[in-house]
Amino acid sequence: MASHAVVIDGLCKKFPTPSGQGEFTVIESLSLQIACGSFASIVGPSGCGKSTLLNIIAGIEPRDAGEVRVQSQDGAHSGARIGYVFQSPRLLNWLTVEDNIKFALEAQNIGRSSWDERVAKYLHMVGLAGQERNFPLKLSGGMQQRVAIARALAIEPDILLMDEPFSHLDEITARKMRVDLMQILEHARPTILFVTHSLREAVFLSEEVYMMSVKPARIFKHLRVDIPRPREPEDPRLFDLEKGLVKEFFAVLEQDFR
Amino acid sequence: MKLFRPEAVPGFLSAIGLLLVWTGVSLFFLPTFLPSPLALLNQVISIFSHAAAYLVIGKTLERVLAGLVLSMLLGSLIGLVMGLRRSVESFFDGWIMVLLTFPSICWAFLAVLWFGLSDIAPIFTIVLIVLPYVAMNIWEGAKAIDKDLSDMATVFRAPRFLFLRKVLIPQLMPYIFSSLRISFALSWKIALVSEAFGASRGVGKELMYWFQGTRADMMLAWGASFMLLMVAIDALVLRPWENRVFSWRPAAV
Amino acid sequence: MNRQTGLRWLSVFSFVAVWWLGSLVSKPDILPGPLAIGQTILTNFTIPTGPEDKSAAFHVAITLARILFSFSVAMTLGIAIGLAIGLRRKVELAFGYLISLALTIPTLLAVFLCVIWFGFSEAGGLFAVIMTVTPFVAVNMIAGAKALDKELIDMAHAFNARRGLLVRKVLVWQLMPYIFSAFRYAFGMTWKIVALAESFGLKYGIGYMFTFWFEQFNMAQVMAWVMLFVAIMLVIEHGVIARFEAKIFAWRPAHAV
Repeated sequence: MASHAVVIDGLCKKFPTPSGQGEFTVIESLSLQIACGSFASIVGPSGCGKSTLLNIIAGIEPRDAGEVRVQSQDGAHSGARIGYVFQSPRLLNWLTVEDNIKFALEAQNIGRSSWDERVAKYLHMVGLAGQERNFPLKLSGGMQQRVAIARALAIEPDILLMDEPFSHLDEITARKMRVDLMQILEHARPTILFVTHSLREAVFLSEEVYMMSVKPARIFKHLRVDIPRPREPEDPRLFDLEKGLVKEFFAVLEQDFR
Repeated sequence: MKLFRPEAVPGFLSAIGLLLVWTGVSLFFLPTFLPSPLALLNQVISIFSHAAAYLVIGKTLERVLAGLVLSMLLGSLIGLVMGLRRSVESFFDGWIMVLLTFPSICWAFLAVLWFGLSDIAPIFTIVLIVLPYVAMNIWEGAKAIDKDLSDMATVFRAPRFLFLRKVLIPQLMPYIFSSLRISFALSWKIALVSEAFGASRGVGKELMYWFQGTRADMMLAWGASFMLLMVAIDALVLRPWENRVFSWRPAAV
Repeated sequence: MNRQTGLRWLSVFSFVAVWWLGSLVSKPDILPGPLAIGQTILTNFTIPTGPEDKSAAFHVAITLARILFSFSVAMTLGIAIGLAIGLRRKVELAFGYLISLALTIPTLLAVFLCVIWFGFSEAGGLFAVIMTVTPFVAVNMIAGAKALDKELIDMAHAFNARRGLLVRKVLVWQLMPYIFSAFRYAFGMTWKIVALAESFGLKYGIGYMFTFWFEQFNMAQVMAWVMLFVAIMLVIEHGVIARFEAKIFAWRPAHAV
């Protein structure tokens, strides 16, 4: 079994400036290694390039330099299944909930015979059993996002990418979703790369926290959260960790903006 | 059918008023020049009590349908490719612009000179006017495709055909339907112009025949009944179909 | 010259090339080539032919005059009727259905009826054009009237604006996009219906000429007059009107249309 699910080495990414003249570097010499089966968060302020990093790993953004290697659980190269949960659900509103999940299964060439079983299993896992025939626009924002999570899990990915999946939800729904996510992941354990701007969320959910700064984006600190699961949201150890990280962040940001 | 809502009353009253005015004015003229509403109704009934009338309407409908289907298929294809590939767009948008400028009568004449008095002439005319319109509409639709959903499909590695079926084409449906209804409305009017000059049988030919005989009453009878049929097709076939296809949408404001 | 412009020129060139090749393959009375047509158009301007031997310039002028006249009347009437219906709910309920009815009437029928009712005269033909174009303008203005932002009107009242000021600075600018879209659409319609009217019911004019040549089965002349017509209208629509539009809408942020 491969030791690292995601290996990034010296990644560079540039974007053209809005005026069209010249470019600015969004990501410079970024290197990162995520161990198989771990839950890793990338935390940083808005606009620092976290989503771009995720998009490059997922293959929807090209990179300018450096290497990105994504490996499946059994070590095979780039046959890795990647699941992605975006900030907004990005469901196909004209398809029912079950057809949305089946879309992903068909895209990934998964055998038709297992479709119904997977749909039932993962909808149950996200707490939406019985919603198969409903259309997305009839569901609340939180429920739509759960369908998106079920869709990503149903393909049984080697790597699950999550780009601030709860940031568009109201606070109460978001809190519930975080706890639910923890429970869901008791059953299915892909490698997870979770992007967020919330230190609290990162510390609560993950084992590895990578902190990212801006202009250009780079990882400046890595922290292990050793608190065993299941974790309590109100655990004082989490508060302490968070406080420490906030201090580090401000120190780095001050340097960056000088 | 809710005919007795209070909102329908002003319209109802004005319609009655206008019918009365019409009847009054028609008394000053020959019935062949300006028939009264009742005389017109009688005229329509007498036309349609003969089987020949249905053959005439059928012929025209045939041509409308053929022209419409061809225009929708080819126009959608061209519009789709234009929306997806910038190079194709630049190549065709000039043609579309020019074609949209042609009056239908010009094509009607050219078609008759080229194809004679056949079915091809009206169908050709319809396609040359309606196709650019459909292409332009679908082009707009293709340009408005939601990039977020396309990215999602890329991330899940959806093959091209699956992407077209489940992501792209459903987003084009509103454009396809709106251009279908307007193209239908255009097509039958163009068919009339084209038939007037170059067909052996059809509603347009009838209109031309009675025009040459200065029979306004017959023209009105044929014109009004055909109009009614077209409106009925739109209301009873096209609109319900559209509503069914879009049933996944929440009720519009 | 960037790629897109290059492709456009390629498009024009390929069209002319296909046309020319087609003309070589078929007979001159079926598909005359581009050169032949070009020549015919020029000759029409210098050596008049056709009924009464009037020069092409004369016919073009007549057609343009008719277009200008009927278009102006249709715009004025259409705006007036559209606003009357759009601003007052009662008027809309009472007469709105007439607009939908008018939009459904086929142009051919309208022209035929007007020719019979008003005789073979200028009045008849122009009336048909105006009658068909006005409802289209009205429909646009109804949408514009309904889209008027009540909050802006209230704001103007809160500042005690007089009626004239309110109309000029608040209402007219909100209606401008609708007036403009009505303008473009109506202009496009107007000349096509003028062409139709000139084919049956009016004397002189471009439509009159290509109908005359159609009846003579003279392909070259029919195509010459059609091309002339289309070329003039393209120049007006995309040259003149587009420039005008850019100036009026200068306050909008540049958007990729």
